[in-house]
Amino acid sequence: MKTAFLFPGQGMQYPGFLEDLPDMAVVHGTLKEAEQILETTIDSLHSPYALSTTKAVQQSLLIAGVAMSRLLEQEGAKPDYVAGHSVGAFGAAVAAKSCTFEQALKLVTLRGQMMEQSLDLQYGMGVVVGLTEDKLIDIVAEFHTEEQPVYVSNQNSPTQITLSGNKKAIQRVLEYVERKGARSAKLLNVSTPSHCPLFEHVKDVLEQEMDDMLFQRPKIPIAANRNARLLRQAEAIKADLAESICHPVKWHDATNVLYENGVRIFIEMLPGDVLTKLANTAFPDVRAVSTQKVAVEDVLYILNHKGV
Amino acid sequence: MVILNNQTQGRNWTTRLDAKKEQLEKVKGMVDGVIIPTEKIVDVLEKLIRPKDRVIMEGNNQKQASFLSKALVQVDPGKVYDLHMIMSSVSRPEHLDIFEEGIAKKIDMSYAGPQSLRIAQMIEDGRLELGDLHTYVELYGRLFIDLIPNVALVAADKADRAGNLYTGPNTEETPTFVEATAFSDGIVIAQVNEIVDELPRIDIPSSWVDFVVQADEPYELEPLFTRDPRHITDIQILQAMMCIRGIYEKHGVQSLNHGIGFNTAAIELLLPTYGEQLGLKGKICRNWVLNPHPTLIPAIETGWVESVHCFGGELGMEKYVEARRDIFFTGRDGSLRSNRTLAQLAGQYAVDLFIGSTLQMDALGNSSTVTKGRVAGYGGAPNMGHDPGGRRHSTEAWYNMMTSKDELARGKKLVVQVAETFQAANQPVFVERLDAVDVKKQAGLAVAPVMIYGEDVTHVVTEEGIAYLYMSDSPSERRQMIAAVAGVTPIGMKHDAKATALLRERGLVALPEDLGIRRAEAKRSLLAAKNIDELVQWSGGLYEPPAKFRSW
Repeated sequence: MKTAFLFPGQGMQYPGFLEDLPDMAVVHGTLKEAEQILETTIDSLHSPYALSTTKAVQQSLLIAGVAMSRLLEQEGAKPDYVAGHSVGAFGAAVAAKSCTFEQALKLVTLRGQMMEQSLDLQYGMGVVVGLTEDKLIDIVAEFHTEEQPVYVSNQNSPTQITLSGNKKAIQRVLEYVERKGARSAKLLNVSTPSHCPLFEHVKDVLEQEMDDMLFQRPKIPIAANRNARLLRQAEAIKADLAESICHPVKWHDATNVLYENGVRIFIEMLPGDVLTKLANTAFPDVRAVSTQKVAVEDVLYILNHKGV
Repeated sequence: MVILNNQTQGRNWTTRLDAKKEQLEKVKGMVDGVIIPTEKIVDVLEKLIRPKDRVIMEGNNQKQASFLSKALVQVDPGKVYDLHMIMSSVSRPEHLDIFEEGIAKKIDMSYAGPQSLRIAQMIEDGRLELGDLHTYVELYGRLFIDLIPNVALVAADKADRAGNLYTGPNTEETPTFVEATAFSDGIVIAQVNEIVDELPRIDIPSSWVDFVVQADEPYELEPLFTRDPRHITDIQILQAMMCIRGIYEKHGVQSLNHGIGFNTAAIELLLPTYGEQLGLKGKICRNWVLNPHPTLIPAIETGWVESVHCFGGELGMEKYVEARRDIFFTGRDGSLRSNRTLAQLAGQYAVDLFIGSTLQMDALGNSSTVTKGRVAGYGGAPNMGHDPGGRRHSTEAWYNMMTSKDELARGKKLVVQVAETFQAANQPVFVERLDAVDVKKQAGLAVAPVMIYGEDVTHVVTEEGIAYLYMSDSPSERRQMIAAVAGVTPIGMKHDAKATALLRERGLVALPEDLGIRRAEAKRSLLAAKNIDELVQWSGGLYEPPAKFRSW
């Protein structure tokens, strides 16, 4: 019975959430390290104001993921695989020892900055529940124009799919699918059209930045965002970290590949339990838990007792 | 006078045997007679298997040679590489790990459901070369034609010190694999749960077996055919009532196969109740080819069932089967003898009816269970789910399918497809085009992976009604019949009420009311057993369900 650590992307952060990390030396050490690298204070990262900026959200998500996974590892919990959703992939890369915490912090800072720079209130994302990716691709093709582009983006589950692009176009798709059998269709509260071609320039900048960075072969395989393959090479991990921002995250396929490789325990780093819920719904016989909801001792108990 | 062909003079006619002797020589110091020490299995495999060998790795939807597959993935890819694997089912992670490690390169297989995403990715990435997707019988057949194996890695329950094997209730396809290998000078290696002095019975004789190895833990076995009646829905009960009335009774179906669906589990559990009310006992469903389904227990106990031949065993059913040996095929020792190859052939040629559920069906009745981006294969459904044109023996149901008055007219196997018009997430089952067409392109398959072809389907059953497809050869009429039972799916929306009324009048389509079934009667209270506990009670405590099915 194998275990995977999951690192969430944007969405479940809340003011002060880094304070909910367990009160342990390795956590404090990680927070301090982040403050030094970023030359800032943790308080200024997860304050209500800071969390309204993409950069701070991404930085603090990475910090939380790394702190939590370091703590689990120190307590003897060793995953067989890791995977991170969107910006969560950077935390996964650190946990797999493919890049350093410092490298990852630099990259997510840059990534967040670039995304913010392209901020345009006309753009955003939506989510549709109850229709398959295929069906949505056909529908979206009818609404997409060069002036008001809209794309099918993340595949969170077979029937929970996000849209990215121009808000008006997204709105039109949402209204249409509500009449075509979607269980739910709504606009997300973000102004960044992530994981679609509109962010190709962010990918280019990340690629350039990583050109000079030395990544290692990961100690454990990472399930990729873009093509749901298991990555075992430094270059493939770099490519996935860069490309993910302008391509759909194949999250369901990525976790499905882990499942087919024998993973039956998924442990999600805080904040939140979005990935935990997705895993529990997709795979009835797995045990998925969130470190937001379950104390570290209990996580360790689950791992030591093979999921019980 | 015999004219000698110069070319044959001096040719060696025993290359396979010579190679085998050479391989066996290499492990002489490592083995104890026919016994490979457990801890030496990886070393021995490295010596016995040559690069590019055709290797059978036993694993199907039930029994897995899990010790040997875990050992094979540990061999040195520098020594053993580019193997051509032959597998009924790709089920375990290491079945594909051997391709990632470069130990194996090509595969011929029947089913990959539990690894269907990884295998699709590996085909796309060129890491795995797909020989072909077979049905079970085709794969078994080709072992004796052009996929003759060099090595067979199989699983048995017990061996004696001479290498005789006891495979017991879970004999499945082991004898077929061993026969193809042993009689073509290949090497047969069996993992066993234990080595004993005396076997309960011999399923495979030692002269067919080269080595046995005691596994560190018993082989993996999935209780795949256990269906908890708690999960049977009212709609499935309605469909089951329609099948019993509108198909089994109407055509006098005596011999049949049921698969793992909840639809067919519902039929099994309605025989002692609804079937009894209709006075059908002894008239239908007497001779079966199916695994020892726990849900068949009430029908057996109430005297419906005369015989059952099994593809494989079912965890927890061992004692029950032993105690009902008039019904099941059992050995002198008392335990079940299954045989997947023979059961598949029986299901193909010898029974009146095959019934299965589908996830997708097109307007002409072609059906498929594939999903885009996945390569899952077939298993045995296409073997049983078609009309074998070579059949000659006539039974009432087969003869009943005859629609022509031609002098040479003949009957037909009943092939029934059951579906609810919509799956989860609003996915219509009836579609214009099967996803199988896309899978064919994505995976570079020669043919679209259609499970059951429309031309073979005699009946389609949905919650709306039954389409008696066998009654018409006209494609447009068959379309209309399917549309009439396809509900509000894109296909169903095309039917027009007048045409449907006419089809009903002519008996080409039947709604529940046409069969004397009131929808309101289709309730779970009709089930002879409503949960696993009641199945145990029916069995007099002989059925011992695996832990995951126990609720008390």
